[in-house]
Amino acid sequence: MKKEKEVDVSLRQFIKNIGYMTGGAALLAGTTPWLQSFTPDKLEEIKKERARVAVIGTGSRGQYHIHNLLQIPHAEIVAFCDDYQPSLDAALALCPKAKTYTDYRKLLENPEIDGVIIATPLNWHATMVLDALAAGKHVFCEKSMALTMEQCKAIYDAYQHTGKVLYFCMQRMFDEKYIKGMQMIHSGLIGDVVGLRCHWFRNHDWRRPVPSPSLERKINWRLYWESSAGLMTELASHQLEVCNWATRKIPESVIGTGDIVHWKDGREVYDSVNVIYHYSDGVKINYESLISNKFNGMEDQILGHKGTMNLATGKYYLEDETSSKSGIEQLLKQIGDKVFTAVPAAGPSWRPETKQAYTPHYIVEDRFHVNDGLSMIGADKDGSDQILSAFCQACITGEKGKNIVEEAYSATMLCLLGNQAMAEKCKVDFPEEYKIPSMKFQ
Amino acid sequence: MISSYSHYYESSETFHGSLQGIMGTRFDVVMTGCDELKGQSVWDIIVLELKRLDGMLNRFDPKSELSRLNQQAVGNPVSVSPEMWTVLTGCKRYHALTLGLFDITLKDFSLVSFDEISHSILLPSEKFAFDLGGYAKGYAMEKMKTILRENAIENAFIDFGNSSIVGLGHHPYGDCWKVSIENPFRKEEILGEVSLMNQDISTSGNTPLYSNHIIHPFTGEYSDAKKLVSVVAKNSIQAEVLTTTLMIATNEQKEAITPAFDIEKITSYDIQ
Repeated sequence: MKKEKEVDVSLRQFIKNIGYMTGGAALLAGTTPWLQSFTPDKLEEIKKERARVAVIGTGSRGQYHIHNLLQIPHAEIVAFCDDYQPSLDAALALCPKAKTYTDYRKLLENPEIDGVIIATPLNWHATMVLDALAAGKHVFCEKSMALTMEQCKAIYDAYQHTGKVLYFCMQRMFDEKYIKGMQMIHSGLIGDVVGLRCHWFRNHDWRRPVPSPSLERKINWRLYWESSAGLMTELASHQLEVCNWATRKIPESVIGTGDIVHWKDGREVYDSVNVIYHYSDGVKINYESLISNKFNGMEDQILGHKGTMNLATGKYYLEDETSSKSGIEQLLKQIGDKVFTAVPAAGPSWRPETKQAYTPHYIVEDRFHVNDGLSMIGADKDGSDQILSAFCQACITGEKGKNIVEEAYSATMLCLLGNQAMAEKCKVDFPEEYKIPSMKFQ
Repeated sequence: MISSYSHYYESSETFHGSLQGIMGTRFDVVMTGCDELKGQSVWDIIVLELKRLDGMLNRFDPKSELSRLNQQAVGNPVSVSPEMWTVLTGCKRYHALTLGLFDITLKDFSLVSFDEISHSILLPSEKFAFDLGGYAKGYAMEKMKTILRENAIENAFIDFGNSSIVGLGHHPYGDCWKVSIENPFRKEEILGEVSLMNQDISTSGNTPLYSNHIIHPFTGEYSDAKKLVSVVAKNSIQAEVLTTTLMIATNEQKEAITPAFDIEKITSYDIQ
């Protein structure tokens, strides 16, 4: 018996309410075009139907998706695939009636599967996505898009010629505080975006226990270049997607430096990255990730000349709020407007100290979830369940998610360009051959 | 650092002048119904006068006359300027009128020696120092009113760090100036509203970011009372002295003290 999915409905209701606002439709189309069908009404239309889905890759992240799928009323898990038996067993324990496969190509031959959810190591993404689309399946794939720029472009090109739905798990695109925060940014609340600061700090070796040394590269695939692009694709991809979303532009170049500072355990990928992305107008993204100190946590800060949007914490701050709200300012406005009312000025001595403290305002008023960035699998209620719900809906309706592939493509390209800049120790310009029509650089 | 800003709003014939970092706070004046030249010339006089007063009365400025007095008057009498003499004897008078509760030494003003002939001051020990925090703004405000009067500015609103506000004449679209008092612990909550016609409203109290600044001179303890006291009076010095006093006065002391002041309205807000 499936539980009613209240959170699912709450984001859908929020999207529906935006539609009622003046200019709401334009706002949705401009800020979050992929959410236009994510409404309670659309859910009602499909409530008697089920998307028949299979999960390819049932490790920790795959199991996380299975938990979410079990909560989605319009989803039915019909099959699992993994070539590592303990992961397959764990998935079966969650959903015993599902068929199991050890070869994903066999799974793709099953005509009773509408869509597949791919949660495999990054080096498998391209092959599996392309094969699944070719097999006529709708596809939901974990981020990042793929291990190389060529693979990303191949997926993008294939998507232009398929009638199938393709989603990448960029869950911030379905996280209410990000959506609302972006609407605030795009409506001018924090003024012009003048800088972006994103970071992700952890203090953990990023390893999984390995039952036998022969399984090291299979289980700890994140640590080796043959199967992973390291911190950039695993962590930064989400945050760079947020930057593209906020600026609605793509940086034209990147510089950076990456090192193994602390976890010198045979891994190949950096455990410390500092990357600066440069937009054509001089605005920069400062990106930093370090996994041997967690003091700074995980934050996505969009800096405007009138305020700061801290999307990860769900708060925003306005510059010079004290003076802008002062009684004198109100009095001057009153006189200009020919209005006579009381101005809130009288009170205990105003001290300059009070001006240094920024007042946090909450992007979403009621309850919301803050991701501390510490979980290696996925945070609770970070939008992953919502984007999966949207994908399952799309498996039924066949409606493509507007901009989802483009956002994933752009974010992944930035990650890979960042790695290239760090490896080559020089400035890397966005390559012409990988530009796509939706990208704006100016 | 003191920084000055001014702007003339031509359509409403309103001049706004603002000084940041003056006497530890900010100062704003809005003059209505004046031309730009007039507004600017009056503002120049105001800035000059406020900087002069800050240089004399600011105890955080080591070069001010007050600092010099605090450093040198322990053990030997120090003669002071005529204006400083007026300020300190004024404080002495209010010390007596408030039964010792208004005390710029924050300890025991009665132990300070005043030499009437040489206009010199002697502090009893190193533990004594003058702090004009509860007086200087009121004193400066009186100077401001004089400047505006002498320059024929009839309608103006002066805000000295929110705790001292003067409404001269009236708002261009009203018959007075109206201000409301916000609860510093709950923004947007209005505790009260007053109309000012050639009057000052002085407010004293603790705020979430600025508390423990009012000392009871008898006990040496800081007041952490969650209350605000507001006094409306014609004289800004009286208003300021009384609000500071009433933050720590008992009801009996309040009844004994207030008849000596020319007060229009006293309001105490319990903001527990």
